Amino acid sequence: MSETPKTDKPKKELTKAQMLSKKITEDYMSEAFRAHELGKLIGYTTAISPVEIFVAHDIVPIYPENHAVANLTAKKGIQLCSVTENLGYTSHLCAYARSDLGYRETGITVTKGIPEPDLFLACNAQCFTLTKWFQVLARKGNLPVFVFDTPEYIMNKKAREEIIKYCVLQLKELISFLEEITKKKFDYDRLKEVMKYSAESSILYKRFLDMAQYKPSPISIFDALIGMAIAVYRRGTPECVEYYKTLCDEFQEKADKGIGVLPKDKEKYRLYWENLPVWFKFSDHAKLLGSYGGVILTSLYVHAWSFEFDLNKDPLLTLAENYVSRFSNSTLEDRADMAMDLFKRYSMNGMIMFMNRSCKAVSFAVPTLKDVLVKRTGIPALVFESDMGDQRFYSETQIRTRIEAYFETLDRLQPQVS
Amino acid sequence: MWDNLSLKEVVEYTKDPFPSIRKWAKEKGKKVVGSTIADVPEEVIYAFGLLPVTLVGTDKPLKKAPSRLPDNACSLARSNLELVLSYEGDLFDGFVLPQVCDTTQHLSDIWRISFPDKYVECFLAPRQVDRPSARYWVKEEIERLIESMGKWTGKNITDNDLKRAISLYNENKRLLREIYDIKKKNPETITNKEFFSLVKLSMQVDKEEFNKSLKKIKESMAPKKGDGYLDIILAGITCDPPEVYDLFDEIKLNIVADTLVTGSRYLDGVVPEDGNPIDALADRHMNRKFFSPIHDNVYRNFEEIKALYKENNAKAVIYIHIEFCESQEYDLPDLKKMIRKEGIPMHVLDTEYQTLSLSHLRTRLQAFFESLKGGSL
Repeated sequence: MSETPKTDKPKKELTKAQMLSKKITEDYMSEAFRAHELGKLIGYTTAISPVEIFVAHDIVPIYPENHAVANLTAKKGIQLCSVTENLGYTSHLCAYARSDLGYRETGITVTKGIPEPDLFLACNAQCFTLTKWFQVLARKGNLPVFVFDTPEYIMNKKAREEIIKYCVLQLKELISFLEEITKKKFDYDRLKEVMKYSAESSILYKRFLDMAQYKPSPISIFDALIGMAIAVYRRGTPECVEYYKTLCDEFQEKADKGIGVLPKDKEKYRLYWENLPVWFKFSDHAKLLGSYGGVILTSLYVHAWSFEFDLNKDPLLTLAENYVSRFSNSTLEDRADMAMDLFKRYSMNGMIMFMNRSCKAVSFAVPTLKDVLVKRTGIPALVFESDMGDQRFYSETQIRTRIEAYFETLDRLQPQVS
Repeated sequence: MWDNLSLKEVVEYTKDPFPSIRKWAKEKGKKVVGSTIADVPEEVIYAFGLLPVTLVGTDKPLKKAPSRLPDNACSLARSNLELVLSYEGDLFDGFVLPQVCDTTQHLSDIWRISFPDKYVECFLAPRQVDRPSARYWVKEEIERLIESMGKWTGKNITDNDLKRAISLYNENKRLLREIYDIKKKNPETITNKEFFSLVKLSMQVDKEEFNKSLKKIKESMAPKKGDGYLDIILAGITCDPPEVYDLFDEIKLNIVADTLVTGSRYLDGVVPEDGNPIDALADRHMNRKFFSPIHDNVYRNFEEIKALYKENNAKAVIYIHIEFCESQEYDLPDLKKMIRKEGIPMHVLDTEYQTLSLSHLRTRLQAFFESLKGGSL
């Protein structure tokens, strides 16, 4: 199965990194489908979750979100979501969840599907929606769900210390939960080894994202969205490290040669994107923006996997600190600071704020975040509402018109913002 | 102000309690602290000499909230935000906002940024309840709240202050429970709307005063059974606008048990008065029945509703769905399936806080109960 989103680009020879990504994904899915034969269990988990503990305990992590992305990118959203809505679920729930529940009913998928779960790990640093979705799946087979509860990482030093303690306590509970299910003792030395890979690949992944600092930028958010896949589902493994080394080398070479997503003289607008992408408009958006001299460089979303694990600390402590402080679990003020850091480092001069009906956990902050960022950067924002996976909530004409109008505004302000 | 209210007055005050709260706070020189539902330990706020007020939306038009929270956000969250942004914000000196789901997590951020000059604290409720760490965390959060309120008010509270507040709040819950017991067996004595107004107003006004009204109301009640009532179970989180209760009263439905946060889940919050009060408050959080769908798993919700239906020999279950409450919406299809499989008639009412016309709800409710009486379900 290909976990990475497909684009409409003409077929080109694959780069070394792309070939590696393909192989890693194929090996991973092949192992996942044979997990039981290999004496391993399948654990469904959220993209932001301390999966290092799974890896260290030989639980094969599967991310229903990634599978949903593949189907939604291939425009299967309406077909799959409609099936779920006929079961009584409302049309405004997360399109990942709705398409996944539709897949469970019909078996329809553009991939080979994903193996059935043995257990679930839901981490609400990403969202509580996934917990609810996993509970629906767990009820189908009466399977255990472990909720790793990460309270909002509020701006209070002492409270943060308490939050971390609570999270470490829960990670110990998670380990006991896994030991009980697998009847196997958890190996902390193995965890340390997994953490080394995870820490190294995270640094490399961040280096890859930071290629957006170059002018012209050799990387757009679309490269980042494709490039993040391995960080999501293979962190904690040596192959993940190898992949990001290769990827960084390739993009560094582009940067060194001055090869940008757009040529240097055409790169007018270096844009920030808030939220997940509109998966089924992935390549259309890149083309449309490119025609105006715009390139979206980054989002907080793609940075969610640039962890900074401290290998000198207890592994559970550094895991807790990193997972609880993801952008999606941070206060609005901290999210604004994180975005501001990217604005400065990547010299961005425009922002597209996507109100994603599917992702309430990210989107409900957007109107306020937009106000804060506009005030702090002095850059106007384009706000549009749609859905990351359900085409029924996407109005082509309206969004195209808004994008055009936004670039006209930026053109007018060009002397001020450049 | 609230110590000698008749049932009729209680219903009126519940419809719009804020003018009376404003007047009372001014007269008494008290500060007012607002909280959204659920699970903020009000006793802590009261022990600091403040008036805790639970916010349960407004039926006034939405003006400012839609620019902060889109139209697919929980109707109660939007309504509460509107209540403070457009209508009653000035009444409150501070807020303690519980985070129980993604929406309330964002809501407390938006709230804090909207009121930079007020005290805005959050209460980070655990979103798992089955493991020892949950109890540990609740206690940590109660202690953090006490410390935070202490810094804000410049006061320290003793165990005795907290115990006094607990005792007063317990008395309120016991009185409400006693009135509920009378109502269950004697539906003609007090309407559904009157009873649930007593609960809601209890969550919003000074307990010391209101308990006096409750005692008088209870003493003056002459139990009347009445004829033609159908006993039902009400399930959900809240039930608003209050006119929904009028619909139940119109067609003679008698709510004999419920799982509402603005109902039995509140009444079940009696706290043991001996021992360490912080431990007792933490235990209350964990031991409360009817963990709302926000935290709970559907199996437990189902078992609770089934038990209430059987124990009370009820005839149907009405489930109140708050428009765009994501937690309810993930649970409902399976919950419905389980309840119906058990042979329990169930009707789901979709409610929205700014609804003015309930005619569509009336029609659906009437159709459901006509078919129920006709035995054709």
